[in-house]
Amino acid sequence: MLRSILKYEWRNLVADKAIWVVTGLFALLIGYGLLNGFAWVRFQNATLATARSEEVTRFNKLKASLTAIEQGQEKFTGDAFADPRQARTVGNNKGTRYAAMPPGALAPLAVGQSDLYPYYFKVSTLNKQTFLYNNELENPTNLLVGRFDFAFVIVYLYPLLILALSYNLISAERDEGTLAMLLAQPVALRQIVLGKILLRGGIVLALAVVCSLLGAVLSGANLLEGDTALRLGLWCAVVLFYGAFWFALAAAVNALGKSSATNAVGLVGLWLVFVVVIPAALNVTVTSLSPVPSRVELIQAIREASSAATAQGNQLLARYYEDHPELLPKNTKVDTSSFALRSTAVRETVDKAIAPVMARYDRQLLGQQNLVERYRFLSPAIVAQEALSDLAGTGLDRYRHFLGEVDKFHRGWQGFFVPLIFRQQSITAADIDRLPIFRFQEEPVGAVAGRVAGGLLGLVLPVVFLVWIALPRFKHYPVTA
Amino acid sequence: MIARIARKEFTEMVRDGRFRGGALIVLVLLLSALLMGWKHYSDVSAQHTAAQRATREQWLKQEPKNPHSAAHYGVYAFKPKLPLSFVDQGVDDYVGVAVWLEAHKQNDFRYRPAQDATAVQRFSELTAATVLQLLLPLLIILLGFSTFAGEREQGTLKQLVSLGVAKRDLALGKALGVLAALAVLLVPATVIGLGALALASGPESLAMSTPRLGLLALSYLGYYTLFIAVALAVSAWAKSSRFALVALLGFWILQSLVAPRVATDLTRWLYPTPSALEFAKSVSDDIAKGMDGHSSQDERTQALERSVLKQYGAKKLEDLPINFAGVALQASEEYGYRVYDKHFGALWDRFERQNTLHQVGAIFAPLLAIRSLSMGLSGTDFAQHRHFATAAESYRRVMIKAMNDDVTLHKDADHKATSEVYRSLPDFEYAPLPLPSVLAAQVWSLVCFGVWLIGSTLAALYAATRMEV
Amino acid sequence: MLEAVELTKHYANATLALDRLSLRIEPGEIFCLLGPNGAGKTTTISLFLGFVAPSSGSARIKDLDVQSHPLATKRFVAYIPEQVMLYRNLTGLENLEYFSALAGQDSYSKAALLGFFDEVGLPQEAATRRVGTYSKGMRQKVGIAIAIAKKAEALLLDEPTSGLDPKASNEFSALLKRLGASGVAVLMATHDLFRAKEAGTRVGIMSAGKLLTTARTEDLSYEQLERLYLESMAGGAMQGVKR
Repeated sequence: MLRSILKYEWRNLVADKAIWVVTGLFALLIGYGLLNGFAWVRFQNATLATARSEEVTRFNKLKASLTAIEQGQEKFTGDAFADPRQARTVGNNKGTRYAAMPPGALAPLAVGQSDLYPYYFKVSTLNKQTFLYNNELENPTNLLVGRFDFAFVIVYLYPLLILALSYNLISAERDEGTLAMLLAQPVALRQIVLGKILLRGGIVLALAVVCSLLGAVLSGANLLEGDTALRLGLWCAVVLFYGAFWFALAAAVNALGKSSATNAVGLVGLWLVFVVVIPAALNVTVTSLSPVPSRVELIQAIREASSAATAQGNQLLARYYEDHPELLPKNTKVDTSSFALRSTAVRETVDKAIAPVMARYDRQLLGQQNLVERYRFLSPAIVAQEALSDLAGTGLDRYRHFLGEVDKFHRGWQGFFVPLIFRQQSITAADIDRLPIFRFQEEPVGAVAGRVAGGLLGLVLPVVFLVWIALPRFKHYPVTA
Repeated sequence: MIARIARKEFTEMVRDGRFRGGALIVLVLLLSALLMGWKHYSDVSAQHTAAQRATREQWLKQEPKNPHSAAHYGVYAFKPKLPLSFVDQGVDDYVGVAVWLEAHKQNDFRYRPAQDATAVQRFSELTAATVLQLLLPLLIILLGFSTFAGEREQGTLKQLVSLGVAKRDLALGKALGVLAALAVLLVPATVIGLGALALASGPESLAMSTPRLGLLALSYLGYYTLFIAVALAVSAWAKSSRFALVALLGFWILQSLVAPRVATDLTRWLYPTPSALEFAKSVSDDIAKGMDGHSSQDERTQALERSVLKQYGAKKLEDLPINFAGVALQASEEYGYRVYDKHFGALWDRFERQNTLHQVGAIFAPLLAIRSLSMGLSGTDFAQHRHFATAAESYRRVMIKAMNDDVTLHKDADHKATSEVYRSLPDFEYAPLPLPSVLAAQVWSLVCFGVWLIGSTLAALYAATRMEV
Repeated sequence: MLEAVELTKHYANATLALDRLSLRIEPGEIFCLLGPNGAGKTTTISLFLGFVAPSSGSARIKDLDVQSHPLATKRFVAYIPEQVMLYRNLTGLENLEYFSALAGQDSYSKAALLGFFDEVGLPQEAATRRVGTYSKGMRQKVGIAIAIAKKAEALLLDEPTSGLDPKASNEFSALLKRLGASGVAVLMATHDLFRAKEAGTRVGIMSAGKLLTTARTEDLSYEQLERLYLESMAGGAMQGVKR
């Protein structure tokens, strides 16, 4: 029975050229979105490669000049700020290293928030505030508009394609008068609906999934690698269930027994509610429930703290040595006028002073993100968007993970240089090879999968709910107008 | 005759549940967006005013120190919000809120509010601009798609025409009817907007904002008129009201979702933006090796030394009546200015060319024109950000010069600047870009807007007079 | 075969569409329901098809209650509305194949399906044309072909001949008679007294939801049937006034 329904629905669809036009258009849009994603990932990779080569050149030069000075071939004549033997100079400038987060395996599929957040930092012994705002240059108008990537096609346009194919699933049969003929046969309306949805769903969802796989393969992701395969599998699951939600919604609206025109207006209205209104309302709610304090306050706090600390530079230095007697230079006297010493002591004090302010920003932002995590279930569009960028590694979570890694590395970097600065110890060519290196540890895929599984539940449950309310209504569908 | 048709359309629409429901939702969203925009404006405005005062305080209260250290300490310039930003936030969330003005470096703006938000913000923000630019046209489509096609299906169109009503009058009457129905929504919103503006701004900025608000209202009115005309044209031309609805929704989706992003991609492709890394490298290369690649920093210092010695007829730097360090600092700053002007100028010109392309794209999607105009008149577009950034940079140069001059004047190496010197630097005052310059940046938006307005009106009249009944 | 027992239908707007209709149609009978618009003819047919649920009483097909066996009862009946609506983008043959497959007859060869077209008097070339190009008479014939292919034991027809030209209408009656002769029970709602007399074996006259009279067509001439109808309407109207 179902086979017959599928077969003839197929013939009906094929005879109507519209489906080929829309699915063809859809495939083109996906292809365009993928091209954009590739271009952005290529740009990021090229930038990271430039950064790496700049670092290598700089390190070679530094090592060469240190070796030359050590072997007495060269005498350093410039001012102390440029002296390669000074730990402060190396740690802040000549020997800084890049901490980079390379684009993940599925990054070309969703640009997500990656155009808004920095993806590499030049870590120094200075406080984090000095290097943390390494934004990529971008026209703010372009940032405002957002990217046309694969995820955009899925979140915004894919529902519209689904609704265009299914807004008149049953109402068209009634408008055309064929519904009465159909239901005079021993077949349940539910079965016809199922057949129609299976066929349309089969075409559209298969297209979306195939494009996802194709996109992943073209982006050079190694599908045999377990983590990538899991991410891609989850990606396809999100795409499938997000599509299933829109089909279920169309079926539920059809079950109300209204005319095709009413269904169309109603479904476009619902699309608008889920894709535009709820996200906007959620954003407003989240920012008012957990407001991130203005960064203007942070600027003031840092300046207040640093003026206070600078004013008492020498006392700070003395106190510092009291706290860390092991850092007292062994052979030389402490040079209290040394800029390196004083600025490092001041910097540590400022860091301590602004730590609570910084923590407040992180707390509020985390609070916002937690609220979004909780209330994203109000709109499957938000669920899908969050899950897709999470899987592509372009969401807030991976960025936060990166910041954590950078923080660890920064502390290690300071841990290497600060004792050298306070001991007033010179850097040698051999030291250069011992400098800490940043290696980005990918976020454990289990954590990503856990978050996305929650999102999937947020897609499956609405589908179940819609089916549950629609099914009994199909029994009493008004066959005649 | 036209008035009578308009009145009938209006009555029918106002009685229609779809319009009532849709209009209520849009009105609620619009009012809450205006309210929130107003609150956001007054909060941010108060913070920035306070911060601007505080940064001045901090500058004045510096302990006596080397003037160059004071220049390193510098000041912050906080971007002021214009009152009308409560209508349209524009790019404000995507440019930083403040810039640090310090010695040697022209910094980029820091702390983009969008970075302190969740990803949900990028779906769409509940601002008055979103409602006015996206949702209201949708309401117009719902009101207008069946004006002709629906009457044709019901058979009332035949009756009307058989009564001898000119089709042109019918079209004009229907357009006026839809406009009147919209006015039910827009008039209260405008009154509330005006009230909020009066509350939000002092008399001075009210005088500045009122003409901008007037133009803003006029632009939106034009935008809706062209949308009504498009809806009527499609409704007259379409075979069925269902087809009219699908065609109009398709137009809406293309122009509000697809076109802006495609325009963005095109601008990126035509005018690629360098990476921040390349940008920083070309700036530092130009400073170190000279913009022509032949006059390195050292060579430039030596040349300066020679010329200053010659000017004062001295043999050694010690013999100079002034402190050469100050002269050298100022000269290197001035070289830096040339480098920064070259690179930031090129970058910003590139952004502006990209934005012009967005405006030209309005020939395909009128949203691009109204968005650009709306941001411009609200004072939140990139051109006005650039204007502020340029003003802040000029102030930085004044500050640096003052400090370097103090260095030059004192031969004593331990010289410390006094609060008198700090006070000699005037406070930072910013005058927003005047209206004519704002409009000058919107030429292409205005042209495309005009083309759409005339084109869609002609199309509606043409389609209405030629339609089948 | 078809049986209505005290069948009553109130619609939500409180109109009484059908008032305690009791009726029995045996195999081979062609029962014509006559009556003005709103008499309850279409409601009766919709109740037999389970498109609407009765307020009380029951409609039965082969002793099965339609309401409790919605799918089983549809195996036995075929439905031909005023306009047989088919999938306009499919050919006549494809439509026939689809509807018979849905009816559970999915093993017909192409030749067998073409045979049904022949049986109802549709030219072979029409079978492979899209239904969008068919005239109304042709579509009604496809409706009958579906009924034959389905091996329906009962036929429910709702004004099947209205709007057909006399020749097509005549051909349609002939087909019905042939089906009746082969043992199919037919319930036909119609305005057309002449067609009822011509094709039917029994007539029932309805007004305002009530079945007023039934008669055998062989007992009446056309003129007698017309008089009976007009008298019933007058009586029905009187009844309406009394109520």
